[in-house]
Amino acid sequence: MKMAVLAFVLALFATTVGGAGASNFWANCNYAAPASNLNLTRDGAQTYSYTAAYDGYQWGGGCWNNNDVDEGWGDPPMDVSTHGEGADCSGLVFKTWKESENTADAGKYYWNPLRNVHGPYTAASFRDGVGAPNGLISKAYAGVMDGFASGTHVGLIFFRGSGGWDQIIEAKCEACGTNINSQTYRSQSAYGGIRRIGWTG
Amino acid sequence: MKRSRRRRRLLGGALAGGLAGIVTGAVIATAAPRAHQQGKGGPDPAAMIDAAHVPPFLTLPGEEVTLRYAIVCPTAGTAPLAEACNASGDVDVRAGSGGPFTRLPLRRTEDSTDGRYAVDVPAWIAASGAGFTYYAVLRNDDTGASITVPSGGADAPQRSLPLDRAVTVRLGPHRFGGVAVAADRVVDAPWGAGLGAVGLGGSPGGLRVGPSSFDVAGDGTVVVLDSANSRLERWTKADVSAVHVDVDGAADDMGLAPDGTAYVVEGGRAPVVRHLARDGRALATEPLVDRTWSQLRMGPDGPLVQEEPSEQWLGAAPGLSREKQARSGRAGRTLRDGSEIVVLRTGVGELRVARVLGSRVRAAWRILSDTPLGEVQLAEPSGSGVAVVVKTYTDTADEFLVLVLDAHGVARQFSVPSAEWASGAPLARFRLLGSSLYRLGSTPDGAFVDRYDLEVKQ
Repeated sequence: MKMAVLAFVLALFATTVGGAGASNFWANCNYAAPASNLNLTRDGAQTYSYTAAYDGYQWGGGCWNNNDVDEGWGDPPMDVSTHGEGADCSGLVFKTWKESENTADAGKYYWNPLRNVHGPYTAASFRDGVGAPNGLISKAYAGVMDGFASGTHVGLIFFRGSGGWDQIIEAKCEACGTNINSQTYRSQSAYGGIRRIGWTG
Repeated sequence: MKRSRRRRRLLGGALAGGLAGIVTGAVIATAAPRAHQQGKGGPDPAAMIDAAHVPPFLTLPGEEVTLRYAIVCPTAGTAPLAEACNASGDVDVRAGSGGPFTRLPLRRTEDSTDGRYAVDVPAWIAASGAGFTYYAVLRNDDTGASITVPSGGADAPQRSLPLDRAVTVRLGPHRFGGVAVAADRVVDAPWGAGLGAVGLGGSPGGLRVGPSSFDVAGDGTVVVLDSANSRLERWTKADVSAVHVDVDGAADDMGLAPDGTAYVVEGGRAPVVRHLARDGRALATEPLVDRTWSQLRMGPDGPLVQEEPSEQWLGAAPGLSREKQARSGRAGRTLRDGSEIVVLRTGVGELRVARVLGSRVRAAWRILSDTPLGEVQLAEPSGSGVAVVVKTYTDTADEFLVLVLDAHGVARQFSVPSAEWASGAPLARFRLLGSSLYRLGSTPDGAFVDRYDLEVKQ
């Protein structure tokens, strides 16, 4: 009986605690080429970013399945090898803005949510307007799907709030996941205004 | 023989136990992620629909009113997420707050910067002395999915009131750097986990998350929601104490009830309001109606939460059904005397504030600034007027602007440094108790609560 209990405990540990953060969600992802796509509307981008909501956060990641379940929840932070579900903050912006992995290419490319790609940009490089598709905007005039970026974080405007804050869609942190949060990035001097060049409507 | 049988029994027991452990572990591992989920339509993209809208809570005489909506939904076809969806909707609108609604179809516009779908409110409705009320039903024409905004629909429509006699305040350009000195520092807490310290969360090299919110009890006790350490810390003049609370460690907002219990709104995936006893025990949990919250304040009958996409203040007291929560939606925050305070930040540098009783504006202010205005952190009755704290900013600087407004305009005005080194709940930086304004701030050394005196010297 003792042996059975001991084996039960060891097996339980191995499959739960020991296995935490080892979901390897990336086994569900693909590496297909993106589809060239001339349309880049703000509400189309809004809908695309919305599919990432509630599907988790993965540092260095960019793959999610839109089923509202974070299948890599609780992964250790800042470890890309955990292969969990979701994008990180800059990966979400890159895919939502239909950007190219080539920073000199300002073209528009549709990446399926399950296409695992992070893109070449960090929050700081978005803040600095690095790359052909990325520009800067005065924060007071930023609208839907423009964004705010600091040296450590970037989020996109889902919509303005009535009291001067914004609803921001953001891949925030491992524990926070990806969500639409009310935020005051617009008025914080640590954040700059960013925009995708070439909106079509 | 006996030893051999015993060895077989041991082996069999170990195998059975191990197998049971693996099966149990697999069940737990499969179930665990689901504890953190929330639906936005589930895995079926066709069911996905959401919306956003900023209501014109307060309008000026003669102002043309266009209602704009963003509709978030997938298209039909093989790449349903690559383009804007094929949507439509109707707005039911009426003059005043009673009688039948007039149905107006939304038109699809070429630009979605502020919402692609729009309708102009007819002048005879927009100019009504009693204001107007409205709600929208928005549809994805490809899938049939629909959403009503605000959540209460005809039972709690959005309300817009006219500002006929607003006091206009012209602030001019803001001069950064001339900040006021606090009267008192009532909390000075280093980062840490010990009693009297506050936790610093977030990720290394990434976002820093400090104490997420705070409130001030009637006796002046300051209660800080120290989410990273899962506790409420109480600072009195004599000492500091703490109780453990089960909160999610994110940027939650909180309010103190008169009986000393606390309400905390938390969660991104499935937002809830938690009612916590003075000793930290969980008394009740109530899910919110809408997907996003922006702030929690105490109303006369319990906690009120401003929620989106309704963009209304909804009752969130434990035990309220979803239907009752949705039907409780108001444009303004209800105060203890039954009046409401309504806030609208519009344009780049304009703020409109009104005190409303019934459906009538009793006092109103229109504040115009040459420097952009950001979020309104606080709007509370103060004497015969209103105290307002609003962020003012450029692309490189920011400060909080404190305004005490009375019947003549600005009775008192000063600036407060932003001190937002660590993030917290978005609209939880200030609280007002009597004529004392409390502000929560943070620096690389820790967090603090300062007190400013708002009394206007005659």
